[in-house]
Amino acid sequence: MTITEPVQSQTKYTGARIRRTEDPRLLAGRGQYIDDVTVPKMLQAAVLRSPHPHARITGIDTSRARALPGVFDVITGQDLAAVADQQPVIWFPIPEQRIARTHALAVDRVRWVGQAVAAVVATDRYVAEDALELIEVSYELLPVVADLDAALAPDAPKLYDDWPDNVSGSLTYRNGDADEAFASADLVVGGSFSHGRAFGCPLEPRGCIVNWDSFEGTLDVWLSTQSPNLARDLLAEVFDVPVHKIRVRTPHIGGGFGNKFDFYGEEVIAAVLSRRTGRPVKLLEDRAESFVATGHSRDQRLDFEMALSQDGTILGLRGTSYGVLGGALGTVGSGPPWASVLTSMGPYKIPNLELHLKAVVTNRAPYGSYRGWGAPKGNLVHERLIEMAARELGMDRAEIRRKNFPAPEEFPYFTGAIFTYDSGRYADCLDLAMSKVDELGWRERQAEARAEGRHVGIGYSFHIEPSGYGPSRILNLAGLAHSGFDEAVVRMDSGGKVTIYTGQINIGQGTHTIYSQLAADTLGVPMDDVVVVTGDTDSCPYTGYGTGGSRAATLGGAAILRASERLRGKVFRVAAQLLEASPDDLQIDSGTISVRGTSGPSVTTRDVGDAAYRRLLDRLPDDEMPTLEEVDVFDPVNMATSFGCAALLIEVDPETGTVSMLDCLQAHDCGTVINPMLVDGQLAGGLAQAMGGALLEELVYDEEARLRTGSFRDYLLPTATDIPPFHFYHQETPAPDIPGGMKGVGEAGTIAGVSLVASAIDDALTEFGVTVTRFPVTPPRLLEQIREATSHKEGSQ
Amino acid sequence: MNDKQSVSTTINGHVYTADCEPRLTLADFIRHQCGLTGTHLGCEHGVCGACTIMVDGRTARACLMLAVQADGCTITTVEGMADGDRLTPLQEAFWNNHGLQCGFCTPGMLMCATELLESNPDPTATEVRERLSGNLCRCTGYDSIVTSVLDAAEKQRS
Ligand code: FES
Ligand code: FES
Repeated sequence: MTITEPVQSQTKYTGARIRRTEDPRLLAGRGQYIDDVTVPKMLQAAVLRSPHPHARITGIDTSRARALPGVFDVITGQDLAAVADQQPVIWFPIPEQRIARTHALAVDRVRWVGQAVAAVVATDRYVAEDALELIEVSYELLPVVADLDAALAPDAPKLYDDWPDNVSGSLTYRNGDADEAFASADLVVGGSFSHGRAFGCPLEPRGCIVNWDSFEGTLDVWLSTQSPNLARDLLAEVFDVPVHKIRVRTPHIGGGFGNKFDFYGEEVIAAVLSRRTGRPVKLLEDRAESFVATGHSRDQRLDFEMALSQDGTILGLRGTSYGVLGGALGTVGSGPPWASVLTSMGPYKIPNLELHLKAVVTNRAPYGSYRGWGAPKGNLVHERLIEMAARELGMDRAEIRRKNFPAPEEFPYFTGAIFTYDSGRYADCLDLAMSKVDELGWRERQAEARAEGRHVGIGYSFHIEPSGYGPSRILNLAGLAHSGFDEAVVRMDSGGKVTIYTGQINIGQGTHTIYSQLAADTLGVPMDDVVVVTGDTDSCPYTGYGTGGSRAATLGGAAILRASERLRGKVFRVAAQLLEASPDDLQIDSGTISVRGTSGPSVTTRDVGDAAYRRLLDRLPDDEMPTLEEVDVFDPVNMATSFGCAALLIEVDPETGTVSMLDCLQAHDCGTVINPMLVDGQLAGGLAQAMGGALLEELVYDEEARLRTGSFRDYLLPTATDIPPFHFYHQETPAPDIPGGMKGVGEAGTIAGVSLVASAIDDALTEFGVTVTRFPVTPPRLLEQIREATSHKEGSQ
Repeated sequence: MNDKQSVSTTINGHVYTADCEPRLTLADFIRHQCGLTGTHLGCEHGVCGACTIMVDGRTARACLMLAVQADGCTITTVEGMADGDRLTPLQEAFWNNHGLQCGFCTPGMLMCATELLESNPDPTATEVRERLSGNLCRCTGYDSIVTSVLDAAEKQRS
């Protein structure tokens, strides 16, 4: 008899709402975050930061700080530069870009408020902070470049004396003939969209503990990072220490959001202090520091226009994205503004493109990674413009979107600029969202409210999320000095239980749970039999990029699936020997292996483990190696593009300019859903962050380039009363290039959410004819727009 | 500032006594002197609520109190909630409803929700949102936390 059905087809866990394995200890207060880790003989450090946005350092006197009892050492930029290279940059998407790098401590010049200039290490943080106050730095102030316009002004002061201007680099993508498309268009809509500075702002600030053992030549590092392998490689580069002498471990991470992907100067400072004192050094960023020391993002202006024909077909898109970088490049350089350009066509077929990127340096803090990584602003471009076009053409907002989607059979679909979307059923997803808007009765609510003279609106946003970054060689070609594959080890032990080792990091998204689900299903063992080990470069395998780019479920998951599949093969071969059967005839259920279709004898994974590790004689096939372990390295051939359609019900008070979000839904497709409860959590969290960015959060720099919003009292994170309830609906279009079919989901909400809020505000204020283009839409900004629109209307009457 | 003062508090049923600098915050005392690191610090300026604990039966922000102010007080931290390895119904509800992701805000959320349910066993979703509006969560978008608290309320009533 030939067996044609797959050996293992049942999935008990994949697709189920399973509560997380991570949770009990976190709920009981037994987590171990970076500040909960203490190592013997540990000292604590603190960093002195520049109060000036642009100045030459003419002298630093550390003598009084050194004399303070309890202080072990004080270092300046000169001390650090003697043993450490400048901070690394890994993304170079713009050919021949001028890369502004600095040391972890400024050597002779500061270029943003908050740039680190000296560091103290002492018995504890209180003493270290006392000592900071005793350091005297003399500065010679330089003229500042506070914002984009100031940076591009013809007579602008220069941040880097040997550059011709403040432009780090420019790049253009062309496809088709944009000039021709615009010349022949029936309608051209355009706008200047700007997103203020914001950051991921994990509730736990960053931190590290570094122990430099000069005798062993080793660095032992605890780091709150999403990318331990990258941190290890970059520490090796900065200090010219062999990679294998560096160990990076991660504790629990109190939120990452991309901010903890980047490689920061603090880990270098702590390493230098540890090397000099011979003691482990803990260096934590406090909340106040986080506003100037954790990577900033989103700061961008996008001047774009779209050409359409009368029937709503998009003919062309052109424009420029200005990335407002800081006084030095962060780890990811100009990567996020570049990604905005690449995603500016979104889910729409646009045959003619002319897309420019200009990356500009200013006296602001460095630009870094934040969930969404450029795509939220690409989304602003296509979603704002398509709604403006719908209004001009008098078309329904859903209709015009539907008209421009590639059909399912047009995938893989090349956008015209770098990305090829793998698969999609965009119209189905849009229809799903629209039907839920009806079901939830939003239209009636809106009509009733309007009848009462209230300004209630419904907004929409369709987004694409390029995920599973990405094919290593293509990433290299695009300018990444790093890879994108993922490696996993799946091991069954002598007792028949399973351990998964991966380089992915749990930052709250629940990787341990979903990895257990995937492996348990593939191996045919109970989920309780699987543990997941992460966060130690000495024992865990290599992850190319780290946890970011919506890679954890896709690439991490795929590697685990493939390793588990091969391991199941070996388990069956050993079991076959024990059962005197053919491996092809076996089945496994809950860890018990038997011959399919018989009620005969069975063995358990425990028997198999024993045969492979301990009592091998006559039990382990002669041609099998002892142990049960498989390694897989998965480097995808293409990324996986997930997508979704969100809708939002809001009310605007035109008297005050305040916005209340009443209800929110998202229809979403991330391919195979491993755990719907966790997918919903990712969508909700991302949407909430975007809503904060759309309405509340802004790192405001004044015209002197000083940060005005440096605490939670003025950098406003959304609270439980700001964020609406959520409803999520899933469709599953499996990723064709990812084993398991998973697509990413971590960034969906942040990509869709800002244009979503904008769309809803426009709809609520239809009678005024408002189009929001500047974010966050704070009450004063919205009031001003309403007043302008009103006076414009009155003027034209 | 080096004149240390003796502080004695009862935390989760244990008496902790130590000599503290007057400037030592209660949060640092609990975390580093007592080793109870379940109480988290997200801002140290009284806004995020992650450090919320119970002091003499009422919620308080441990970052806004000095250790010396807690002399003679009875304190409960998140470590004092579960009974051995049995989670409370509220903790269970957070587990069942995905009320946490990174878990950093969770101790503070649990404290405030406990206090809410003590005074109002049958809150509305709006009441839950209002009571938790002083606690920041950057991961969940709050909805699942609200669901968790409502679920716990229902289970506790039945
Ligand atoms: S740490 Fe106390 S309120 Fe934020
Ligand atoms: S679960 Fe991460 S901050 Fe709330």
